[in-house]
Amino acid sequence: MKNLFLIAVCIALVMSIGFVYAENQRGSRPNKNDVHSIQIPVIPIELKPGPGQDKASPFCNICHSLDYITMQPPFLRATWTAEVNKMIKVMGAPINEDDAKTIINYLVANYGTGQ
Amino acid sequence: MGNKMFTRRDFMRTTGVITAMTAMGGMPAELLADVDWRRLVKFPEKTDMIMLTSRPPLLETPFHYFKELITPNDAVFVRWHLSQISTSVDLNEWRLKVGGNTEKELQLSMDDLKTKFEKVTYTAVIQCSGNGRSFFEPRVAGGQWKNGAMGNVTWSGARLKDILNAAGIKAGSIDVTFDGLDEPPLPTVPDFVKSLDMDRALEDDIIVAYEMNGRFLPMLNGFPSRLIVPGWYADYWVKSLSTITVLTKPFEGYWEKGAYRIPDDPCACVPPGSEQKKTVPIRRLNTRSFIVEPSDGTALRANKPVIVMGIAFSGGYGIRDVIISTDKGRTWNETMLGKDLGKYAWIQWSYSWLPKKPGKYMLMVRATNRIGESQPFEPLWSPSGFMRNNIEKIEVTVR
Repeated sequence: MKNLFLIAVCIALVMSIGFVYAENQRGSRPNKNDVHSIQIPVIPIELKPGPGQDKASPFCNICHSLDYITMQPPFLRATWTAEVNKMIKVMGAPINEDDAKTIINYLVANYGTGQ
Repeated sequence: MGNKMFTRRDFMRTTGVITAMTAMGGMPAELLADVDWRRLVKFPEKTDMIMLTSRPPLLETPFHYFKELITPNDAVFVRWHLSQISTSVDLNEWRLKVGGNTEKELQLSMDDLKTKFEKVTYTAVIQCSGNGRSFFEPRVAGGQWKNGAMGNVTWSGARLKDILNAAGIKAGSIDVTFDGLDEPPLPTVPDFVKSLDMDRALEDDIIVAYEMNGRFLPMLNGFPSRLIVPGWYADYWVKSLSTITVLTKPFEGYWEKGAYRIPDDPCACVPPGSEQKKTVPIRRLNTRSFIVEPSDGTALRANKPVIVMGIAFSGGYGIRDVIISTDKGRTWNETMLGKDLGKYAWIQWSYSWLPKKPGKYMLMVRATNRIGESQPFEPLWSPSGFMRNNIEKIEVTVR
């Protein structure tokens, strides 16, 4: 009888631990004393090889991953020019005029409509 | 070398998901259609999402999640503007700062937010301004979303009005700005700050949310709290909210004056391919509806009834009706509306259809909200690819 009682207590204990564990796993209640942290995966993207890639990759990569380029549909030269100019004039990308030309030509040749 | 390894493993992971699902009795067609060039990738606290970009992350919800009335936290889309996003928050240290033209400066802890203010809960659609952008012709630059930059979430939090009143709004207040923990990668990049005018900021339904669907916010959706402006596009719903400032003059920041602008026209559109000259900030959601099941390209049996279902929503006026056409728009039928979760939520609709003759059918769906706003047949184009809301079409084959 006593053994049965002990077993019952043990089962209840294990179940409650399991319940608390499950709750924590589901994360329904953040422990207010906890530091909540995540680690963002680093997912490298390579741009197409070609003249100017050596400028486009490092400069564009300062502020954003290169899939911001690869996800775009093929654009006209005017659109890529406007995008690069926006990065320089509005966002302050540290790209000089020569490098900007190289990057625009690269984007038009590799991610453009060819016009 | 390391890079290549990762890419290959990642690719195998993605195809692994597809293979497993195929083995489990068929890959849902809409998921296949979703995958195309894009990859399913798992980010922390999120399910497998369609990755548009990784830094900052843009993650799209696979369309099949919209079969559900409420979008689960781990499936809600992710969109950040600045690459230095918050990845660690210590709630012992975190404070929501409220100040500017106020009687006093507040430093609210999470406990303060939860105990000093009434808790308000409602369901509201969260939708990116550029949801569906990749379908525009001519194509436009920006996040190349399909239709997965939306969700229907139950939000809980404290009223912005109550927080502002606790700080005491002084005379001459014009705008209120909202800043989050995310930071620009270079000092020259404009910090992501949004604003509301004072009257709007004091409306009852705007809250500082600390719960999504009864749980804390995933980090990528703005832990520990974000602004909710129900009925308006999500650019105002500042994530990882850290500072609220009351201003005595209109806010002139880039993300208000230079971005998130639409043509100043009732249609918010210009002729496709042309420039927008006079602009206004994008604000209220227009009316939309989607067919979720069956998915585009499904094969159906003749003389076998099929339940066509989907969702519909508008910018804070609920949905009056949703009609469906199975004959390219010649005739239309009423659909049955599901449970009404309020004027900001989406509502599910369904229609029992009995296709009789074999052949190809075009299904179209059109919603109208309670003030009569509906959906155009053709998309309304703007240079930023915002506010797409044309009548959605799918094609199915009946055998």
